[in-house]
Amino acid sequence: MVTRVLDEAPSLGTLYAKAAVTAFGRGGGLPEDRLARNGVTVDPAHLAAYARVCRLPLNDVLPATYPHMLTFPLQMALMSDRSFPLALPGLVHVRNRIDVVRAIGSGEPLDLEVWAENFAQHRSGAAVDLRATASVGGEEVWRSTSTYLARGAKAPEGAPEAQIEVAVGDLERVAATWRIPDDAGRRYAKVSGDVNPIHLSGLTAKAFGFKRAIAHGMWVKARVLGALAGRLPDELALDVSFRKPLLLPSTVTLSTAQAGGGWDVAVRNATSGTEHVVGTIRPL
Amino acid sequence: MANSPKPETRKAAIVGGNRIPFARSNSTYAQASNQDMLTATLDGLVARFGLQGAQLGEVVAGAVLKHSRDFNLTRESVLGSKLSATTPAYDVQQACGTGLEAAILVANKIALGQIESGIAGGVDTTSDAPLAVGDDLRRVLISLNNAKTLQDRLKALARIRPGQLVPEIPRNAEPRTGLAMGDHAAITAKEWEISREDQDELTVRSHQNMAAAYDRGFFDDLVTPYLGLTRDQNLRPDSTVEKLATLKPVFGKGEGATMTAANSTPLTDGASAVLLASDEWAAEQGLPVLAHLIDAQTAAVDYVHGGEGLLMAPVYAMPVMLARNGLSLQDFDFYEIHEAFASTVLSTLKAWEDPAFCKGKLGLDAPLGSIDRSKLNVNGSSLAAGHPFAATGGRIVAQLAKTLHEAGPGKRGLISICAAGGQGVVAILES
Repeated sequence: MVTRVLDEAPSLGTLYAKAAVTAFGRGGGLPEDRLARNGVTVDPAHLAAYARVCRLPLNDVLPATYPHMLTFPLQMALMSDRSFPLALPGLVHVRNRIDVVRAIGSGEPLDLEVWAENFAQHRSGAAVDLRATASVGGEEVWRSTSTYLARGAKAPEGAPEAQIEVAVGDLERVAATWRIPDDAGRRYAKVSGDVNPIHLSGLTAKAFGFKRAIAHGMWVKARVLGALAGRLPDELALDVSFRKPLLLPSTVTLSTAQAGGGWDVAVRNATSGTEHVVGTIRPL
Repeated sequence: MANSPKPETRKAAIVGGNRIPFARSNSTYAQASNQDMLTATLDGLVARFGLQGAQLGEVVAGAVLKHSRDFNLTRESVLGSKLSATTPAYDVQQACGTGLEAAILVANKIALGQIESGIAGGVDTTSDAPLAVGDDLRRVLISLNNAKTLQDRLKALARIRPGQLVPEIPRNAEPRTGLAMGDHAAITAKEWEISREDQDELTVRSHQNMAAAYDRGFFDDLVTPYLGLTRDQNLRPDSTVEKLATLKPVFGKGEGATMTAANSTPLTDGASAVLLASDEWAAEQGLPVLAHLIDAQTAAVDYVHGGEGLLMAPVYAMPVMLARNGLSLQDFDFYEIHEAFASTVLSTLKAWEDPAFCKGKLGLDAPLGSIDRSKLNVNGSSLAAGHPFAATGGRIVAQLAKTLHEAGPGKRGLISICAAGGQGVVAILES
């Protein structure tokens, strides 16, 4: 295993382009290399923009989902590299778990590390976990696991079964109704840098087989976090599975129920009931 | 004015306070909304006094510059805070008197036994200010919204003129006189012959007092850092009369203008909150009592047609409250006179010393007299901290309560706050 330390965040637009042209002829096992960045400080203006677009309160503690803003470009660099066995176009983010080991002050310099692991098989293809950690002075304060599914791909012989479902209890009662405008993907793309064409416009989304542009799953997750602001412990695990794409524009409902000292949550289409996000939030 | 005897009530205790450092306009808090700042301030108070998940009697706060979407600003902030979601809340607005008025409202409910605990606060941002469309455009847009047919819609749209597209920016000006508050204060300063030197001296003392208070850790349990700011951004510990003398006047016109950007408060962003309770509740929670809110009084003056200065209402409120409590202006150990402008503090003090004014305007046989200036704004006031309108009252109440507590039991403090619209709020605290 080799850890390569980058001086700055890679540009996501460039990585998407690189991944598209190198999509074919991939295979083999997961790369063992890790990518890292050290002493990363949060730009207050970016944090404010992120908080606004995700409707999170602005204060001196990083939202649980925020470090993903910093680690995602590194994960993308790993996935777009030729050594990564699965082609990036077609990879679907199906589950995301974030552990906040302790509240992170927005002024704390973070050491980030990302890697891929757990090449797993799934009935519709192969799955892989993109892991990330954020540490302060050698102490791990935050970690995440993003599970991606590649439909039609094959995991190596003897690979374990992918775990992409998060079990939740009864979530009948609706807590809130959200109207998600059609520019939600573009607004989040502007802040996150995640310019995946499936989020940007109907036309670009169609090219990848979606009827309309779809919302970023991590944006929906952050909005759920914002809806529960003030009701969450400082140290927590947020585990959600992304079910069906949330087509833009949409009216969706948020359901919440207290469970296990935390919450079960679900975001569904307001009329059809299609499940977009279900998950659990638990004290860590 | 007749004074009715005070009914038998209990006195509301001031347990403590919390605020965020005040920031200069369009600076560190430029991206923070009123709700962000008020929520962070409430959460700081919750952390300080262990109120996680607590259901309090009521939270009362307000903002002077408020977006229409923030109609329930305080309740929304409570819902986003660590307080129990079953804590009721409401908004108040009395211009710069908002914070103190909120404390009086909470204290009165505690005094009457209607609630056992409550938070009073205030917040203002001049950076994330609500812009409104001009009145002409607003009417066009309403008729556009009401239009049933395409023709009606086009007719409505045709009424839009380019000039209407400029939004209305909130101004620190009186709607009825069109004068900025500073220009009103300049008129009063001239009337009372307040010198530039006296104003600058008061300003420097405010900065020095507040800097010294920070240095000795006085604000450690009153202020929680926010967005990287740990002290009030406006604070200039190295401020001197010589430096201030070089500034050009910004309010009042021509020869004899005395009011500068230094001896007037700048536009500021910030929030404050004060925890009030019955003595019993505080004891049950194991919380301290810094002081009690003894009494309060508001007054208003006719600054439009009546010839009184816009910011002179506290001058009128004071004798009413003093008489009701059988106190003289000299019976206090500390005075907190809000420094909207240095000249306002000085005009207020001069008016209380003036026999003709006290007899003619206040109907007093003798003037209220002068105060010992060394007891005035001893830990700094608005000229140093800045003045996020609705947040100032909470800052002063918590600051004075702690000052009294430090001085020991039985100490008395006086608060005087002037407000836009020709209003004033005064109060008495006692340790």
